[in-house]
Amino acid sequence: MTHWKLFITGLCKQYFVAFVRERRNGKRQILTSQVSRFTAGVILAMALLCSCRKSLTVEQENSAVEEGYYQSAPRIQQSVIGGYVDFRRALLANYAWMMYGEARAGDLKVAVAYQQQVSSQKLTAPDENLVQLSDWGYFYDVIKDANDALDIIDNAAEGVLSSYQHNVYRGEALALKSMAYFYLARIWGPVSSAEKNNFGAHLTRDEVVKQAIVYATEAQKLVPWMLLNDDGIESAALTAVRFNKTAVTSLLAQEALWLGNGQNAYDILTNTFTSNIADSLSGFGLAIGADRRMEIPQAPLSPNILSMPLATFNAIYPAGDARRASMFNISGNSATLIVRDASKVDLLPVREIDLLFAEAAWRSERLEEAKEWLILAAGGATEDYSTLTEETFGNALLLERQRQLVGTGQRMFDLIRFDKVPSYIPVFTEADVTKGAAYWPLSANSIRGNGWSQNAYWAIP
Amino acid sequence: MRLIPKPGGKALLFLLVSIGAVMNVLAQDSLRVDSMLLSNRSGVENILQGRVAGLRIKSWSGTTGAQSTLNLRGLSLDPTDQSTMPLILINGVPMIAGPSNITGINPLTYFSPEQIERIDVIKDIDRLAAYGVQAPNGALNIIMKEGKPGSIHVRANAYAGVNFLQNMDYKRDAFYDFNTTARRDVYGDGGMINDETLLVDGAGSYGSYLFGLSNHQDKGIIKGSGFGRQNLFLNAKYNITDRFSAHFYNNMTLANRNGRYTGEYSRDLILPVVGSEEFFMDKNRNLGLISSMGLTYLLDHGITISSVASLSYEGSSRDMYIPSNLLDGDIYASSAAYKRQLITWNTSVNWLHEFSDALKMDMTLGGELRNTDDRLTSVNGQRSLENGGSNFVKVVTGYNANQTIALSNHNVEKLSSFYGTWKFRYKKDLDVNLVARADGSSLYDNKWAFYPALGIHYDLKNSLSIPVKINAGIGKTGVLSRPEVYRGQLDAYGDYYGGNYLGIGELYPAFSGAKSIGVTQIDAGVTVALGSVLDLTVDYFNKTYSDFTYQRYLPNINGIDYIFETGGKLGLSGVEVALDGNWIHSTHFSWTSNLNIAFYRNKVKALPGDIENTSLAYLGAVSGAPVTSLVAWQGSAEKRIGNSAPRAFGGFTNTLRYRNISAAFTLTYAWGQDIAAESFNSRYDAQAINYDFPVKNAETPYYFIYEGANNRTIYQGIRTIEDGSFVRLSRAAVSWHFSSISKRIEALSDLEIFVRGDNLLTLSRYSGINPEENITGSRRYDLMYTGTPLPTSVALGIKVVF
Repeated sequence: MTHWKLFITGLCKQYFVAFVRERRNGKRQILTSQVSRFTAGVILAMALLCSCRKSLTVEQENSAVEEGYYQSAPRIQQSVIGGYVDFRRALLANYAWMMYGEARAGDLKVAVAYQQQVSSQKLTAPDENLVQLSDWGYFYDVIKDANDALDIIDNAAEGVLSSYQHNVYRGEALALKSMAYFYLARIWGPVSSAEKNNFGAHLTRDEVVKQAIVYATEAQKLVPWMLLNDDGIESAALTAVRFNKTAVTSLLAQEALWLGNGQNAYDILTNTFTSNIADSLSGFGLAIGADRRMEIPQAPLSPNILSMPLATFNAIYPAGDARRASMFNISGNSATLIVRDASKVDLLPVREIDLLFAEAAWRSERLEEAKEWLILAAGGATEDYSTLTEETFGNALLLERQRQLVGTGQRMFDLIRFDKVPSYIPVFTEADVTKGAAYWPLSANSIRGNGWSQNAYWAIP
Repeated sequence: MRLIPKPGGKALLFLLVSIGAVMNVLAQDSLRVDSMLLSNRSGVENILQGRVAGLRIKSWSGTTGAQSTLNLRGLSLDPTDQSTMPLILINGVPMIAGPSNITGINPLTYFSPEQIERIDVIKDIDRLAAYGVQAPNGALNIIMKEGKPGSIHVRANAYAGVNFLQNMDYKRDAFYDFNTTARRDVYGDGGMINDETLLVDGAGSYGSYLFGLSNHQDKGIIKGSGFGRQNLFLNAKYNITDRFSAHFYNNMTLANRNGRYTGEYSRDLILPVVGSEEFFMDKNRNLGLISSMGLTYLLDHGITISSVASLSYEGSSRDMYIPSNLLDGDIYASSAAYKRQLITWNTSVNWLHEFSDALKMDMTLGGELRNTDDRLTSVNGQRSLENGGSNFVKVVTGYNANQTIALSNHNVEKLSSFYGTWKFRYKKDLDVNLVARADGSSLYDNKWAFYPALGIHYDLKNSLSIPVKINAGIGKTGVLSRPEVYRGQLDAYGDYYGGNYLGIGELYPAFSGAKSIGVTQIDAGVTVALGSVLDLTVDYFNKTYSDFTYQRYLPNINGIDYIFETGGKLGLSGVEVALDGNWIHSTHFSWTSNLNIAFYRNKVKALPGDIENTSLAYLGAVSGAPVTSLVAWQGSAEKRIGNSAPRAFGGFTNTLRYRNISAAFTLTYAWGQDIAAESFNSRYDAQAINYDFPVKNAETPYYFIYEGANNRTIYQGIRTIEDGSFVRLSRAAVSWHFSSISKRIEALSDLEIFVRGDNLLTLSRYSGINPEENITGSRRYDLMYTGTPLPTSVALGIKVVF
């Protein structure tokens, strides 16, 4: 820049010389003298004006540039909401949460053509929807949003955020990041880190979940049981679509259980869910809304889209099970999940807490307590769970999770976690699962530039 | 004859000289419009067609009021990009010259050729660099007529004629396959053209004045459509003192164009036959204003200070309604307004100095501010027709709010510049031109760019006694890279929680390395005068465009799709040959000819590494080959199937005069350009054909790949690849001057009648109607860049000068 300043100065000098010469010439008329002075003044002013960097910076009113945007709490909140919207796209585009979950496991049918290929485990078929489903980019978008939001929150000017806002937004960003990593590990197994300190590093599945636990642990301390709406009033509806303490605790317990750390999960659950907070419990789901970049399902749980064939339904919920009527509408040859609140897609429902307690207790060698929790969770079941043994408990719990959590997209992950994939998806052998059949293949985009190769099972032509 | 009135004559002369030196750029070619063969079509560019070596004016559309594409040594990555257009100046100040996306009305129709004194064509680097980033692809400086000495002169010009399509074969019409029956009803011979211009001017010691008005109407050949333009203008100079003068220029225009549904757009009709267009509406209205005010003050010692402020404004609006009988039960309505304004302020000091009798210097130092401000607002909506009620009623009841889309966009851009030009003349033999310009742009974080140039011109006539002039130059200009990317961009991702919250995030991060595309140009030329009969000029140029801004796609764990980078290099070089013959010049008979031809080559010289992961991936197949290559897929590999740029193009103009009769014609031609036409039948969802092309009825084995709705991959078959070479009799005129009458009537200076024809004959093997009808060189399925048939027009006119 320096030489330009010199150039400008030189130019001004040139004008100035002309101006001085003009003044020295006594013959000039008053008018012309004034005019020349004026002109020279204008030139000088213009030169100085142009040299000012700020005069060449335009505030574009219709496009939000990053610089200086996040200077108020609502705008900082927008960056956090951006994470939710991206998370919604990751799970709702192509009915992904179902495809990764119950649709792949064969429990629920989704009325789209490619579901057939998903349920028959032909995940590398040449179908553009499947290509997108095998692309992990949308989850990394969530991680990027969360990391950006954390930076924005940390760099917010003093006084912009109240301590409540600071804690909630930070907690939400961490929870979003934790859950995105958790999904990545459960869908693809080993994946890349997208953190500054080890960006691009290849992490094993368990390393990913451990990283996720760190974020969820911090988030759990920050988010409240109930969130305040813009008027400062606790709002159950708002809490149900954003991370709250109940949801983050459930997430944390799930992550601990995924690592087989029953004691840890048990501690988390028992230390958090004390009897005096029963009224403040809230699930977590994704609010339905318009994505401005692409079409995503606006009524993802619509009876026309999701259904369970009657035979499957009868196998899962035998005659006499009270949940047949309370959770489903049966019409013709299929059963449809009853949607109590169509404005959101539940991912971490409150009803899972008892199941998590049961599993945590069981995996921490507290079978009797585990049975109590399972019986509490399984209200309406025809089975007598009080007679369960250490050996039979696992299957019973898996079945109850299948029944209770249908529609939340967790079924396939449960099969992996309980090591039951070949039992329920007969097309896969144990050897296939060892090779990686239970995970999704990697799209070309996920492989490109990230140093990965296709997992051993799906690499087979 | 007194050329300049004595009182104030010296001052006026000096004024003219100094005003001309405001930008201190001399033109390479200077065309005097009064002696040119004009065109019946609106748009000043049409009179330049075939007249200047290297200036290609492509008559791509017969739609009235549309702008022919202009290219003067211009190249860009995108063949549809208006950035290759030369800078258009009116009396040295820039105007908004590209048509707006809303109405498509050509701003070069805003004035009549009768208003123009001359058009200077600037393409050599030592003249061009003074405009910096404004003129990377040449400049056309349109100098308007000024008042001539005398108290008052009146000149009137009028012509009227008709448009028609010669031997129209509807099957050759690019649009035919979309709508076979309706197409026949759309075109019709006999659309009238009429044009009237009145100029009043005078000059004296006070200065000079010229004012007037003009009207142009053209109904074209698409029935029910048409273009009209009316303008008022003033060009006045006022000598405030003998040293201080002011110059005012104003041109205000109202322009309108009515479109027709089946005639001009929506080629993707579902209905094969279009019924009545009774309620159809497409009204385009423009208001164009070009205004400038210049002040000039003469100091002693050959110093002049000038300051010119100008504004170029265009307001465009389009109102559209498509009734349900055209849209299979839906109705559609939209309204859009686009306001563009360009304000410039240029202040300079000019110093004419003689170091000795042999060495003289003409130096100008100046500064320029340029502020562009564009605002677009549009609303459009669509709804299904309910049972009952007429189409018209549905217009009145309005839209379903949920189906209405509103858009408002505002772009502001600032440019601040300083420039200096030094012209040294040694005797009459040697001219050395030095230019230095610095442009600061609001588009970049690193604001400033520097553009120097050096040019040497040597006349061998005195020293070696041979009639040869040689010149060489080297320098740099730039192209502004849009849009602004240096501050990063946030994107609205979607709505959350019942629409109560908006989720946003980063679309792309800030790019502090954003900068202009650099254009390095080398020129060399030689002019040989063979007696007074023949002038032969051969010019060579070589331009290298470097540092294009492109997107680098990131591995998908980054969470954003791309960042911006700069890189890549394109080359454009060419030889331009112009032959001016003044074969016979006697009292009763004269014969002059101009033949020009330009041979251009362009090439992708360098590409960024890992090109496949950039937005320039489509250039991967043309590395080392022309960027204008037509690239298609064959099987699973990309292949070059042609080149949309001609190997050579130019024009030939011949003018004969015998006593009172003059006859002139202009031929234009181009050869070696290929045209690929996309098929209307062979278009597939790639997945549905298992990514295997061609299928049964594909016309050629080649296909393009597009992204369709919902990110679906589309394979678009190519029907034909053809040679688009042509020779066209672009314009011809015969005129008769009634000199006997003008001699008898003292007040009458000239009386002329003329017959003039446009687009009279085209010889080409191209299977379509107009070999220039595709802007990009490939005819797309949706005909987005394809024009309507170009009509022939013949007009009878009269010109009277008092």
